[in-house]
Amino acid sequence: MAGGLHPIFLVEEAVKAIGLVDAHGHSLIPGNVLYSWTFMIVLILVSTMATKKISLVPRGLQNFFEFVIGSLEDFVVANMGEDGRKVFPVLATLFIYILTCNVGGLFPGSDAPTANINTTASMAVFVFVYYQYWGFKIHGTHYIHHFTGPMIWMAPLMFPIEVIGHFARMLSLSLRLFGNIRGEDIVLALLFMLAPVVSTVPMYFLFMLADVIQAFVFFMLSMLYLKGAFEEAH
Amino acid sequence: MFFGKKKNRHFQALGLASMMGIHLVSGVIVGMVMGYYLDKYFGTKPWLMLLFLIFGIIAGYRNMFREMQRIQKKEAEADVPDNDEKD
Repeated sequence: MAGGLHPIFLVEEAVKAIGLVDAHGHSLIPGNVLYSWTFMIVLILVSTMATKKISLVPRGLQNFFEFVIGSLEDFVVANMGEDGRKVFPVLATLFIYILTCNVGGLFPGSDAPTANINTTASMAVFVFVYYQYWGFKIHGTHYIHHFTGPMIWMAPLMFPIEVIGHFARMLSLSLRLFGNIRGEDIVLALLFMLAPVVSTVPMYFLFMLADVIQAFVFFMLSMLYLKGAFEEAH
Repeated sequence: MFFGKKKNRHFQALGLASMMGIHLVSGVIVGMVMGYYLDKYFGTKPWLMLLFLIFGIIAGYRNMFREMQRIQKKEAEADVPDNDEKD
């Protein structure tokens, strides 16, 4: 976090303790990778716990997950139509994973993997490749009409513009998530230096809201791009 | 359910609105970087960079314009009084 202001990262220390250390005393596996593995393990454990005893009348953890996934599915189907069910698992995974990463960064001794540009860029590249794949799968070679614009004589002009526009989506997706979460970390660290606890506790509530918004925006934009790839070209 | 409510449609529009600025900037950056490396490859400094910068600016504005249309649609949906839901 923010230029080494964070006192201790528990998982990194644990990895150092079992001997994965280079010559300079840093851990061999980068911190963001370690923490994304940690949150993946947490998610896998929680989801196995939720689905171990599935009952028709959901209770406890199962009830919570049915609520989250049910409302996400309603949202996707309302926006994309029935096609949305084909890509819904990916979108819901993205939302839950990003939300866990963002909120996990607020715990002491932990770090948000999404506060590193490599994590967010990898997810944005995946979304980009995924929606182009669906575009090609559905439209075949006609997918090129998505890039050529409405009129055929304008195609040489529109093609580079559309290609740049599509690559820009990748950049804006990754930069926005990274910038917001990293900014939260820096603000928390600086406020903690100025007025410990008194100033940081209220900020936690603001940042929890911001984390949900950021995860939701990533999810929603991926959905909109997929929707654009599913539609016929104008 | 949760995301269909009227209040949450404003919430979605807020999320989209927070993307406006970065959409504009990222188009310009991608255009310029693409032009820069194409220039390096073909050795035609600085023409391709200028051309792709202009393309990038157009693409950035196009992305922003589309986003704005989406927000307007969302807001129009959110402002319609619906009878079946109370919040």
